[in-house]
Amino acid sequence: METERDKHHPEKSHSFTTRDATQENNNDDHENNHHHHNNSDPNPSLHPEKDPNNNNDNNDDTTNEANSESQTEPEPNLENTEVEKKEEGQEEEEDATGVTPEEESHPPPDFDQVCQEIDQFISALSTAKGGDADPPELPEAMEHFPFLVEAKIANYDSPESPMKWNQLSEEDSSLFLETVDRVSKLMTSLTAFSSQSNFAPSINHIGGILQRAMSYLEDEFRSLLEDPRIPDFNNKINESKAKQSSSSWNSNQEEDNSPAEEPKSTEEDSFPGYSDEVLSDLNRLAKAMITGGYEAECYQVYIVTRRTVLEETLHKMGFEKFSVDDIQKMQWEQLEKVIISWNNTFKQCVGVLFNGERKLTAAVFDGDSEVDGLFSSVTAGILIQLLNFAAAVGMTKRWSNKLFKFLDIYETLRDIAPAMDELFAEGTVNELKSEASLTRTRLGEAMVGYFCELENSIKADTGKTPVPGGAVHPLTRFTMNYLQCACAYKDTLEQIFREHQQIERADSATGSDFDYNSQSGGSSSTQNQVNQTSSVKLSPFSIQINKVMDLLDMNIEAKSKLYRDPLLSLIFMMNNWRYTKQKVKGSEMNELMGDAWSRKRQSDIMNYFKRYRESWGRLLNCLSHDGLTVHGKVVKPVLKERFKSFNAMFDEIHKTQSTWVVSDDQLQSELRVSISSVVIQAYRAFLARFSQSFTPGRQTEKYIKYQVEDIETYIDELFDGNKNAAQGKKRP
Amino acid sequence: MRATDNQGSFLNRISIRRNQVVSMDNSHEQELEDLDLFQKHVADRFNDLLLPPQTPPSAAAPDSPSSASPSSSLSSPPSLLSIAWFRNLLDAYLCCEAEFKAVLVMGRDPAQFAKPPLDRLIPDLLDRSVKALDICNAVTSGLELVHNWKKQAQIAVTALSQKPIGEGHVRRAKKALNTLLASMAYDDKENNNNHHGKSTDRNWSFGRRGNGGAVVKTGGAKWSVAKSWSAAKQIQAMMANLVAPRGGEPTGLALPVYIMSIVLVFVTWALVAGVPCQERTGLATHFPVQKQLVWAGPVIGLVEKIGEEWKKKEKKGCCGLLEEVQRMERVSLSLVEFAESFKFPMGDEAVDEVAVMVAEMAEVCRKMEEGLVPLQLQVREVFHRIVRSRAEVLDVLDQVGKVNTPVAY
Repeated sequence: METERDKHHPEKSHSFTTRDATQENNNDDHENNHHHHNNSDPNPSLHPEKDPNNNNDNNDDTTNEANSESQTEPEPNLENTEVEKKEEGQEEEEDATGVTPEEESHPPPDFDQVCQEIDQFISALSTAKGGDADPPELPEAMEHFPFLVEAKIANYDSPESPMKWNQLSEEDSSLFLETVDRVSKLMTSLTAFSSQSNFAPSINHIGGILQRAMSYLEDEFRSLLEDPRIPDFNNKINESKAKQSSSSWNSNQEEDNSPAEEPKSTEEDSFPGYSDEVLSDLNRLAKAMITGGYEAECYQVYIVTRRTVLEETLHKMGFEKFSVDDIQKMQWEQLEKVIISWNNTFKQCVGVLFNGERKLTAAVFDGDSEVDGLFSSVTAGILIQLLNFAAAVGMTKRWSNKLFKFLDIYETLRDIAPAMDELFAEGTVNELKSEASLTRTRLGEAMVGYFCELENSIKADTGKTPVPGGAVHPLTRFTMNYLQCACAYKDTLEQIFREHQQIERADSATGSDFDYNSQSGGSSSTQNQVNQTSSVKLSPFSIQINKVMDLLDMNIEAKSKLYRDPLLSLIFMMNNWRYTKQKVKGSEMNELMGDAWSRKRQSDIMNYFKRYRESWGRLLNCLSHDGLTVHGKVVKPVLKERFKSFNAMFDEIHKTQSTWVVSDDQLQSELRVSISSVVIQAYRAFLARFSQSFTPGRQTEKYIKYQVEDIETYIDELFDGNKNAAQGKKRP
Repeated sequence: MRATDNQGSFLNRISIRRNQVVSMDNSHEQELEDLDLFQKHVADRFNDLLLPPQTPPSAAAPDSPSSASPSSSLSSPPSLLSIAWFRNLLDAYLCCEAEFKAVLVMGRDPAQFAKPPLDRLIPDLLDRSVKALDICNAVTSGLELVHNWKKQAQIAVTALSQKPIGEGHVRRAKKALNTLLASMAYDDKENNNNHHGKSTDRNWSFGRRGNGGAVVKTGGAKWSVAKSWSAAKQIQAMMANLVAPRGGEPTGLALPVYIMSIVLVFVTWALVAGVPCQERTGLATHFPVQKQLVWAGPVIGLVEKIGEEWKKKEKKGCCGLLEEVQRMERVSLSLVEFAESFKFPMGDEAVDEVAVMVAEMAEVCRKMEEGLVPLQLQVREVFHRIVRSRAEVLDVLDQVGKVNTPVAY
């Protein structure tokens, strides 16, 4: 608010009284302030700052607006200058002293009064300009004003030890800016009459002063900007958001205000690292420079400095620049880490940093039409650099395991679009978004390529060694886990495949590209055709998943033929089908594969199951009652044979099949139950009917090797993958 | 000759050809014809770059409704190494590239990619294109820097366009120009002894207090491309294995790959010579081009001209051969000289002298204002085109050279 006042007061001559009043107040404050400084300030390094105050004290007896350097009263000033110089160990004094003697030759003009006259002159000039009249005469004040102002400035912009803006008191800085503002306006008004030759010397003199003041402001603007406290992003929680202030800057913070933590951070940690005081200084300096017609310098300093600070911030956040070439050569382990760091940087950058940057730009240049341009000058280049990284990653050698990191990048790029809309002006945002979307498309294509890669790997998996025990094949596990993970990104992948399909269509329409994947359309064949016919049109990604599943199915079916034992083949098929079914059921794949697929898979499993169970018929034949009795009498030799072959067969089954593997608990127990229910019942009946045919003792023991419970136990040992079972059956 | 304009005719050609591929079998003849056409087009385009057509461009190239290019429509053709010339160069690149892809990929039996000589040439080409991307990125930052220079120069123009010119105006202009000159000089002079790739520090070491003691902030992340990346070395690496296919052997696609490699290397090399770039010390000044080929003449001519320029300028440390930058530097030096001897009020003669210099600077600024952003966009277009084409070639490779590696579970 003060800046507003600074800006407007001198324009209106009628506001003199108000201004005086304000400044009297200011002086009061100032005085108090100053006493405070003198008495209790423990920090000796602040001394240079005190000097203008000292001067002020000396002058404060009048109702003068505080002249911070009081050239009007050379003696104290000289003294003070001396003191200052000595304190700082400086030798050169010509700036201050060089002016003073010249000044002394005139009766000391009252600066305040000179200013009043100058303001009247400015106003007269603008009236004359508006009315096409002759310019007013140069007032006498024009003789003194330049020298007075020059002397004032000299106290600030000494080349060796310029006054640091942030060490100036509020009053000093305000007064300085007010003076500069007057110079700016005077210059503008004079320039309107530049054809008047009698104005030329004044224009020259005032222009020189203006340049000097602007140069000083520019330097101070830069050094304020150069020194933000870069927030520690690893430690964001600790960052204080506690500071409540009237400034809109702070109250707009999106993070909720946590209670104040460390006292040191309460004052100045508001993002992007400038305290409210500094922000308001920046704003005032920018205004002064713009009013002085030096906006180009101001913008340039802002852009260059903020760009540097932002780059440093990114660096501190762990973002490192790599050439495209380096990225191609990087090991995946390292690249993976870099991608993670990029992802964080990128989100942080667009979500937080750029947001802050935008607010900063708006706060420093409030109401300026250049805000959009400035903001994008600072940030667009950085964004392009970040996008370049993503593009470079998208070009790296294809390897299907990269899919998931790529998906992360893809989603990040996709999800920033709305944030970019808010941040950038229309022209810029379109350019940046098209950059982002081009990169995204490349990544998408790489990912589509990964699925082809997956297909190829499945096709290429032609190992001839069957998995022991008919267990789930590693290829099945790998593929299903891969698909399961991929389907966690289902929506994104749907989008990628859809976009890819659109591009392909567009390509084939214009003919600008060759048909890659020309086979991709018509080839999801075999089993899953069921899906295609029964359900609504499948999405491109579903088609892809189905295609991979088809290839896997074909491969597994081929592998099942590697078993010499057809029963083991069945177990192998059941295992693998069951595994795929469960994986699909427990993941997002379910939706993609559809109910029909699940039903089909289940019926396949049941089919294998049935065929397997039928294999037990041979054993059950031994327990058939047929042919054992002739005329109601048991034919013992046949019975003996039956028992013997039952025992041998069961032994054999147990021996082999207990080494087989059914890893799915439910399937395993279903198998056991279904076998035992048939076998045990039959065996029990058989025993009941025929066991008494043997003479108790030796004969019974010889032929009735198993009790019903034994059969039960042994069946329960099937499909355990038990290597020792081959020797086994010596069980209690 | 905007890239986009040519795209249309180029696409038509392909779709015609596509039908031909289906309908007729004498694809070998077609191949040779395409190759001849490609060579001829490359020759034409580079001829235009070397010796711009004196007639209005629309008459010279009736098939391309080209006069869209703002600087070449009415005024004289762009001079070598000017922004407008670089824009034409990049257009030429984009056109050659599109045509090359048609020759290389369209209707081609992918199996050829797996056989000699392509099995060796294609990976080289892909490697070169990756390196070209880094050049594009470095050039993008370089153009940003030039943009900043332009802003400084504009300040001087604004200040010295005031009437009457006072001491403040002169000091303002001088400050901006000194900043500009310091930034321009920062690159090669200091960079030579400094392996830290500081050239882009200069980017941001603009106009500090006093201009003298450049308080360069330390702390990394100042490289436009990557730490210790060097444009000169990158170009050097791109030139490796740049051998023309020998006369006797059945060259087939080897020739277009060779042509495209030369075009790519030439374009990136010219960009590096023209635009301020990270680390250009030791930039090659020539590279071997097979002389007999129809398009070689103009390319060799351009290489010689630019190479000469570079040799002349490199010694005194230069900020790039870009014509506008050279002029900007020259006028800046004169203006600073003027500023140093300035006394108010100026005599009429001095007023006129300054006016001439300021007018030239304003003209340079205007050219930059008009040309830099489109040029930057074009560099990005080249970047994305290269990325895309590389992906397309990889797709073909995937189809054929499919090393069917099983998954490692």
